[in-house]
This record gives sequence, structure tokens and C-alpha cells, in this order.
Amino acid sequence: MAQSWLRKAALLGATLILGGTALSGCSGGGEEAESKQGDGKDPISIWASLNTNVSITLKSMNEITAIKEWEKATGVQTKFEHPAVGAENEQFNVMLASSELPDVMFVYGDYSKLYNDGSIIRLNELIDEYAPNLKKILEENPEVAKQLKADNGDIYAIPHLRLGEYKTFGGMFIRQDWLDELGLEKPETLDEWETVLRAFKEKKGVNAPLLYGAPPKLSTMGPAAANFLEAYGITNTIFLRNGKVAYGPIEPEYKTFLEMFHRWYEEGLIDPDFATNDQKTFDAKILDSQAGAFFTFIGGGVGRYLPALQEKDPKANMTAVQFPVVNKGDEPMFTGRSWEWSGAGATITKSNKRPEETVKALDYFFGEEGHMLKNFGVEGETYTMVDGYPTYTDEILHNPDGLSVVQAMAKHFIANYPFVGEDDDRYNEQYYQLQQQKDAVELFSKYSDNTLEVSIPPISLTTEESNEYSKIMNDITTYRDEMFIKFVVGAEPIDNFDKFVEQIKKFDIDRAIEIQQDAVDRYNAR
Amino acid sequence: MSGGARKLRAAREGGQQAPYAPRDLHGRGTDKKEGWFARLWLNYKKNKAIYWMALPVVLYFLVFKYMPMYGAIIAFKDYTVGKGIWGSEWVGLQHFRDFFESYYFWRILKNTLLLSFYQLLFGFPAPILLALLLNELRHELFKRTVQTVSYIPHFISIVVICGMVVDFSARGGLFNTIITFFGGQDSALLSDPSNFRTIYTASSIWQELGFSTIIYLAALSGINPELYDASRVDGASRLRQVWHITLPGIMPMIVILLILRIGGLMEIGFEKIILLYNPNVYDTADVISTFVYRKGISEGSEFSYTTAVGLFQSVVNFILLLGANRLSKALSDNKLF
Repeated sequence: MAQSWLRKAALLGATLILGGTALSGCSGGGEEAESKQGDGKDPISIWASLNTNVSITLKSMNEITAIKEWEKATGVQTKFEHPAVGAENEQFNVMLASSELPDVMFVYGDYSKLYNDGSIIRLNELIDEYAPNLKKILEENPEVAKQLKADNGDIYAIPHLRLGEYKTFGGMFIRQDWLDELGLEKPETLDEWETVLRAFKEKKGVNAPLLYGAPPKLSTMGPAAANFLEAYGITNTIFLRNGKVAYGPIEPEYKTFLEMFHRWYEEGLIDPDFATNDQKTFDAKILDSQAGAFFTFIGGGVGRYLPALQEKDPKANMTAVQFPVVNKGDEPMFTGRSWEWSGAGATITKSNKRPEETVKALDYFFGEEGHMLKNFGVEGETYTMVDGYPTYTDEILHNPDGLSVVQAMAKHFIANYPFVGEDDDRYNEQYYQLQQQKDAVELFSKYSDNTLEVSIPPISLTTEESNEYSKIMNDITTYRDEMFIKFVVGAEPIDNFDKFVEQIKKFDIDRAIEIQQDAVDRYNAR
Repeated sequence: MSGGARKLRAAREGGQQAPYAPRDLHGRGTDKKEGWFARLWLNYKKNKAIYWMALPVVLYFLVFKYMPMYGAIIAFKDYTVGKGIWGSEWVGLQHFRDFFESYYFWRILKNTLLLSFYQLLFGFPAPILLALLLNELRHELFKRTVQTVSYIPHFISIVVICGMVVDFSARGGLFNTIITFFGGQDSALLSDPSNFRTIYTASSIWQELGFSTIIYLAALSGINPELYDASRVDGASRLRQVWHITLPGIMPMIVILLILRIGGLMEIGFEKIILLYNPNVYDTADVISTFVYRKGISEGSEFSYTTAVGLFQSVVNFILLLGANRLSKALSDNKLF
């Protein structure tokens, strides 16, 4: 008897708990429904990856101060959808395949393909009618309009633009305190680099005189290795050689580079774990003073590493080094300079029921108020006007909750990563607080115009071209990355370089180059 | 699995005894002229509860296993999202041809088969051995402790297990500490293609050993103790007992599990490889499913091509399963279907 009574009581308890959650679930839903009814519409859903600096303090971009203000100013309700970090690509592909699209997708994409697949719509008319601010910018900057438009003149994205001075955001940094200690000059040529790295290895006894790796999956080569390859005037993928499209790894310079890198690897001048590094191990090696030189970003990288290093060792210092060259006096060609259109933009999907309203709302960021909101946040709260110059308050520069500058910015507005609108130079000027950062941006920007001669412009491919191209390049990229590692660690003798080139030709690199060349020709004819 | 064993035993013994019971259950023995549906209805009325219990399972297979098969037709089409599954153009066997001619075909096929084969070769006998060893133990507490300790890893998420393995194999990790203690070289073990298969197989055995043993222990407890008593009277040593009584006693179980394992030979655990591998070791680690994952959704979006590759894998699996079943039927009269 006692047992059955117990069981009943337990059952009753369980029912109550379940019922409770069900009820609370209901009331939660009710509130949401009510708020939606405020203007009688569903919120506009926006798919965008969540920047890591945002995710430190917030769960969704909806909580960013600037987004809340934007909603108030335009009367539009939004709902951000974020893919899981590290799975952005997968979730994007799955989303496309499922045809269940949000209203807006913020992507770096193959826009023509998305359009031809029927996922997104053409925006020209909508921009003409509902985006006066963006329209004005495009009229005033024909170069930007050329980049944004597809070959047939279509526009598929509300862009993220960089019209100011600052277009190079990262490069090589070196431990200046070690250079001073060893009485060395900053290296310029590859030979000087070798001397410096060897000194780091022998005199400082570090594991990774040159650290490189693959934070977030850029390629197994990592941006730093690419910098040394680029000293030879070629790069790791397609680029322009005297105006013609070429593929770096099959150029003869690639072999010279491999020989040098293999030698460096054998001597222990580069990080032996280069192929397995991730962000965590990469950071750890810098902060443990195991790395002498590495590629990082001026804002997010130096801003994070330098204070942490100096906390342990007040003498620690890192400074920017000019992109390496082969001969003294050469000018570096590849500087990572961004185009005016960064290639990122907001697309309106076919599922969007209110494209006019959406375009109008997004255009707000190109207007005076929206521009300030995006780059500086709310006046009086995150910035104040000092002699007509928007100056960040202590909420941003010396955050009371101990957030770093980049984290505090990410909490209140959208300046450090691509989003609809235009980057403001005055943001960058204040973002780079440390002298090392200010010097770096000047140094890295010095030759940035050279890059326009060698990098592929924002071209657009037809669906057929795009399918064919990605099929060819998928195979080649995997093969190239694997062989690169093998050549460097010595699993494959460099004498087999010709076979490597031959295999890439077998994958039909010539066709891929041809596709790109056609697209570049069409771009130039725009 | 024990259901399978029971069914098997029933099938073997069913020939001689209890001819009435199964008839009743299957609704046979009633008037033969009645239609199939009428018989089904009759049977349903008799065994309502069983039908309702089976319903969720049937639905599960319909919804999650049979319906997605419809999507497999994109393997024969040039699928684009805009045109949809039906609207895309037919291309016949083009994607299969592309795959067979691909540079990576032989490599991923070889890796898939080899990894599976090692799993089978080393992973399959391991739990049997442990079960036999445990069976010979007479100290109950010790036996229980060993059992518990050995099956705990099964309940740890594969993500955690792989995270541990990756950390242990890194430069300066646990494995390297041991290796250097014995005078070896400190190196990143998971960056060396020649280590991958060993690490993969060994960690799988470690994780699943204890749990797989449970099935065999259950089968072992079903062996009639009188057989052992009789053999002891005849003077059989313990090894002899294992060979002549224990092993034959669990043989049906072994065969069924083997058939199932062979059927899944190509279906190598894809999550685990994804979590363990890196571009350094693609040479030995890249298998069909990881290749499909990379080309299909993570790096590329070649939906049709990768569907074709996945379909190829399923077909080979199916053939292997049928083959193993046939073979076992021919050799030992034990079979799955």
C-alpha cells in the first residue's frame, strides 16, 4: 500500500513539473506572438555568422546596441540566425539544399550561382527605388559599382564597403625585444629572414622561430607561409601575372620556394606542427614566447597578444615587418589589400515576402545616421563629438567590465567585421590604440596599391563555369595542400616537383585558368 | 541481438517442436482462400498490442530510412537547388564515372577497406577473448570490477574520446611522455600517416571492448553447466572445456555479429575519423564517408557527385552483407535472413 501511494505521489509530481514547463512554454510563446503583433508582421530573419568577439558577451546580434537602435529607427523587426562556429559552410550548404531560406543571408558568396540557382533575387530595381543612400554611393564611386555588379549589370548584394584609407589588416609581426637583444635589424629579404630565424633558433632556443598554421582553416599553408611564397611574386592560388590569370603552385618560383621552406623545416626554423595547428595551439605558442615571428591581424591579433605578453614579461614587444621580398629594394606585390567591396554582402532570398522594406531598412546603414550607428554606436553612450570628431568613450576604450576594445566595440556596434554599410577610417584610427598597431597599419599600407595589379578582381562566373571551376579546384586544392606538406617535411623529394605540376595539369588547371581569364576579361569590359 | 539469437534458436528447434504456436501467431492455418488483407485484419484483431508496439518502429524506418532514399536519385542528375530534385537534368552514370576515374578513388577505397579490415581483424576477436577470460574468473568482485572498468569508456561521447586521443598524441602529450621515457622521439603522432590506422583501431578497441563483451557474457550464461560437469568427470582441462563447450556454445552469436560487421565493412565510423584526422594524414585516413562530407557539404557543395559516391558505398555494403550471409549459411547453417 505504502509503495503504491508513493508511486502516485511521484507521478503527480512529475505531472506537475511537466505541466509547469508546458504552461510556461505557452506563456513565453504568447509574449512573442504579442510582440510580433505590434506591427502585425513576422520579424525579418537574417542569417549571418556570429563574430567571435560578439559571442564573448552576447548570444545573438539582436542584442547589439546598434541593431536595437537600427530596429527603432527603421521600424523593422529582425531576428538573427547564427550558424554554429566552425560549421558555417556546412550549415549554409545544408540550408540551401533544404530550400528553407531566411529572408536575408549575409554571405561571402558566389552570388551569381546563388541567383541562378534561384535562391536570391536581383536587387537593381529595389536599390533604385528604396536605397537612395547606397544608390548615391554607387553613382559617386563608379569603381565600386563596377565591383559590385555582375557581368550583366545585375546587383545581388547590399554590400559591405571599404572606401577609406585602411584596406590592409594583417601582416607579419616579429618579437622586437628579441631582435634588440640579439642586435639584429628587421629582416627585409628572404636571406635576412633566414638569418634572423636562425638566430632565434640558436640563441633563444625557441621551438617555432617562424610560427604559421591554419587559424580558422584558411588553408593548410596559413597566411604566414603565403607571405614568404609571395616574396617570389606568385601566390598560393590564382592571381594575375602581367595581367593574365596564372596559378601559383605550377609556376617555377613555387619550386624555389619549396626548396627554401624545406630547408627551413629541416633546420627547425619553422614550427614543426604547422599542419596541425589550430587557433588554440597557435595562441599558446605566441603567449609562451615560443614563436619569434608570425602572421596576425593588427586589431584583433596585436590587441590581444601584446598586452598578454607584456603582462608576463614587461620587456616583451612585437612590431610589424614589411612583407618580405627576394632582393633588397624590391617592392612587395601581395599585401592582402581588400577591394573597395570586401566581397561580403546581404542578399535577399526568394522567400522574403517584403523585399522593399528589407532593402529600405538595410540602406539605413549607408545614410548619415546609420553610418555613425554602425561605426560608433550611440552618441553620448559609446562616443562623443569632440571638435567634429567622433571619439569613443571609456565604455569602449577602457571598458568598466574589463572588456578589451574589440570586445566592447562588438558589444555595441558593428565595426570590426563585415556587415552592411561602410567602414569609417576614424574607427580604425581609434581602434589601433597601441603605437605598434599605428606603425603597423602605416607599414602594411605602404605598398598596398601594388596588390591591385596582381589580385583577381571581384569577378562573377556563370553557373556552368562556377560548377566546373569549383569541381576542378576542389581536387586541386586538396592535392596542393597535401603535397605542400609532403614537400616541406620531406616525405616527397622536391625533385618530384615536375610530377606535381603534371598532376595538377591532369586535373585540368588550364581549363580553370581559362574560366577565370574569361571572367576577368568580362570584368575589365564592364 | 539476443532477439536474433532467440529467433535463430527457434528456427533451428522449431522444425521438431511446437508446430502449433508459431502458426497461431502468424495467423496461418486459417482458411487459405481468404485474401492477404483479410488474414492481416484477423491477425491484427488477435494481436492488437503487438501491432501497435511495432508501429513506431515501422514509422521510424519509413520516415528516416526509406523516404530519404527518394533523394538518392540526384546521384543520376545534375542537381541544382533552384531546379529542385525533379527539375534538374538527368546525367545517367556520369557522376559514378567521374568518381571511378578520380585521382582519389583508389586511395579512399583502400583506406575504407583497410581501416574496416583492421577493425574486424583486431576489434572483433577482442571482446570474445575478454569474455572468455572473464568467464574463467571465479572471484566475483574482481570480475565485476574488471567488467565495469572496461565498459565505462563506451558511455563517454566520441567527441570527448577523440579530444583526449588528439591531446595525448600531440607533441608533449601523454603518449609522447611515455615514448620519450623509453628513449623514443617526441613527435606529433597524429601528423604521421603511418600511425593513423594504429591509433584509430586501438582507440576503438579500447572504447568498445567492455561493452561488446556483455553480449558474449550473456550468451555464455546460457550454456548448460551440466556440460562442464560432465567434461570435468571425463578429465577435460579448462582449455579443453573452452574449446569444446564454451566456444561452440557462443558460436551462433559470433557468426551473427560477424555477418553484421561484414555488412557494415564499408561504413567506417565517420565522426571518429573527422575528429581525429588532419590534412597530413589524408593518405591513410581519408575514407569514403569523410570524402563525401568534405566534397558534399563542408568544403564543396557537389551534392550530386557525393550522393553518387555515397550510393556506391551503400551498394557495396549490401553486396558484402548478402555475401557474408550466404557464406555463413553454406559453412555453418547459421544465417541472419
